[in-house]
Amino acid sequence: MKEVDIGIGPCKCSAVHRGKKSFIGKTIDGIIFFMQDAFVTESFSRRRGLLQSLDPRAKLISILALIVATSTVGNLRILVFAYLFFLLVAFLSKIEIGFFIKRVWLFIPIFSGFLVLPLVFNVFFPGDPLIQLIHLGPGAHLGPIPLPESIYITKQGVNAATIFMMRVATCVSAIVLLFLTTPQQMLFKSLRSVGIPKLYVLTLSMAYRYIFVLTELVSEMYVAKKARTIKARGMFDEQKWVGGRIGYTLIRSLDMSEKVHMAMMSRGYNGEVRIIQEFKMRNRDYVAGAIAISMSVVLVLISQNIIRV
Amino acid sequence: MEAIFDLRNVSYSYVGKIDALKDITLEIDRGELVSIIGSNGSGKSTLLAILNGLIYTTSGEFYAFGNQITEDAFDAIKDNEFRTFFRTKVGFVFQNSDVQLFSPTVFEEIAFGPLQLNVTPEEVKTRVEDVLDMMDITKLRDRSPHTLSGGEKKKVCIATVLVNNPDVLLLDEPSAGLDPRTQLWLVELLQELGQGGKTVITATHDLEIIDQISKRAIVMGEDHAIKEDGDADKVLNDYELLLGANLIHEHTHVHGKVVHEHLHEHVEGHIHKHET
Repeated sequence: MKEVDIGIGPCKCSAVHRGKKSFIGKTIDGIIFFMQDAFVTESFSRRRGLLQSLDPRAKLISILALIVATSTVGNLRILVFAYLFFLLVAFLSKIEIGFFIKRVWLFIPIFSGFLVLPLVFNVFFPGDPLIQLIHLGPGAHLGPIPLPESIYITKQGVNAATIFMMRVATCVSAIVLLFLTTPQQMLFKSLRSVGIPKLYVLTLSMAYRYIFVLTELVSEMYVAKKARTIKARGMFDEQKWVGGRIGYTLIRSLDMSEKVHMAMMSRGYNGEVRIIQEFKMRNRDYVAGAIAISMSVVLVLISQNIIRV
Repeated sequence: MEAIFDLRNVSYSYVGKIDALKDITLEIDRGELVSIIGSNGSGKSTLLAILNGLIYTTSGEFYAFGNQITEDAFDAIKDNEFRTFFRTKVGFVFQNSDVQLFSPTVFEEIAFGPLQLNVTPEEVKTRVEDVLDMMDITKLRDRSPHTLSGGEKKKVCIATVLVNNPDVLLLDEPSAGLDPRTQLWLVELLQELGQGGKTVITATHDLEIIDQISKRAIVMGEDHAIKEDGDADKVLNDYELLLGANLIHEHTHVHGKVVHEHLHEHVEGHIHKHET
């Protein structure tokens, strides 16, 4: 047999190597983050707080009513009040305020900030100057588009943008509260109370369930790849590998869906699903629902100037 | 004895091209403990799927409880009295527990079956609590399936089937991936179910458990046909048969009921005795 020198002996190479993380490392990190985040979110829903003690249906309807009402409000002071109200509810639901604010405001600049950015400049909407940015002089234009003499941030623009951002922040806070204080599966089931057909509710909860199974599959593939990676390959080869894995995951998920359907049929499912309702409305749920709906009505009345503040 | 399942010249092929079963003829009587053994890809799982009315024969006839199972009669969306009866009487434990655990919590998972079979919610709740208690998994009641260990998942899968108190249990590779302690628990459970008069049909290639959980063994060959159908002890002692079905390696030794394998030099040949 031909002998191969595999160089057994102490390795003179350095085990410490600092550099950019490969896409494999980043993907594994992403998967671990997703799992941890799901775990942390679930842990909030198990705390003994105000919202956790309410029936998911009462909570869902109350929060939806408050969101609809908030979206009609155009008064900044009222919006700030509503936002502070949700912060108080978060506090009473044993959610760390710092974590809660960070979670809400992380998305606001990305989604709504860019959306309202043009609103603050007099280029798009005229208004009273607040801060002058550039003085262009008379007759300035950008191609065929005429520009004003000076570009400045307007008072009206800042006001409108602030109201918009505050409104989004308040509504997002309400939704984040709902998600943090309700186990995902209870949340899906409570959708039945707002008329979502049970087949959709079942599909949603099954999709959520199998995200974890497929995430585990993807994670194993990446860890196996990492274990066998000795040196980095070219971008094209890596992209080809990722493409192949995406296809493989799709095939596995299709195969799994077929087997899940068989497992359902095996236990009597024939297209019409029956699920058990375990929810029980108590007095506190009715009280909480009544308060939320009353508050929503007041907010709408204020927004319509029927009640003046 | 009354035959529960009767297969007459049954064949099955995937997409009409890939043969999975060839000319299977067998009867399984009430209360029988049967192992279907064969190497990977021999058709064991397909046979179980046919026995559970999940797929339908490409040719041949399959009768369950005296009724012929055909796609037209069995797979209609409208309510079907026999199908409800069949689903109540026959339970199937899948090889991959994850495909069987699709509900949000263990409680709902176990409740799913009886709910689909028109059992009242009150009765379902009682039954689920009973089966949780019986399987000693009450502590898992509100857990989500993805947080369970392999052994716990298998226990929940079996509970989802036992909650209907079926007469027939079909199990696909039930011992695969279980630790020795859970394997022993499983064997004891299947023995108890057998003693309780249930028909237990297990597809496996775990030779160690066959004589403990069955009296009859059906050996599937790599040609997807039945190679042998007989007494489990006899089958396990038939070295040539097991070798021919690719269930054992040349280095596997059979000492009575004990099957084991080890590396050795070929001084004495493959078939030899040990000094015990």
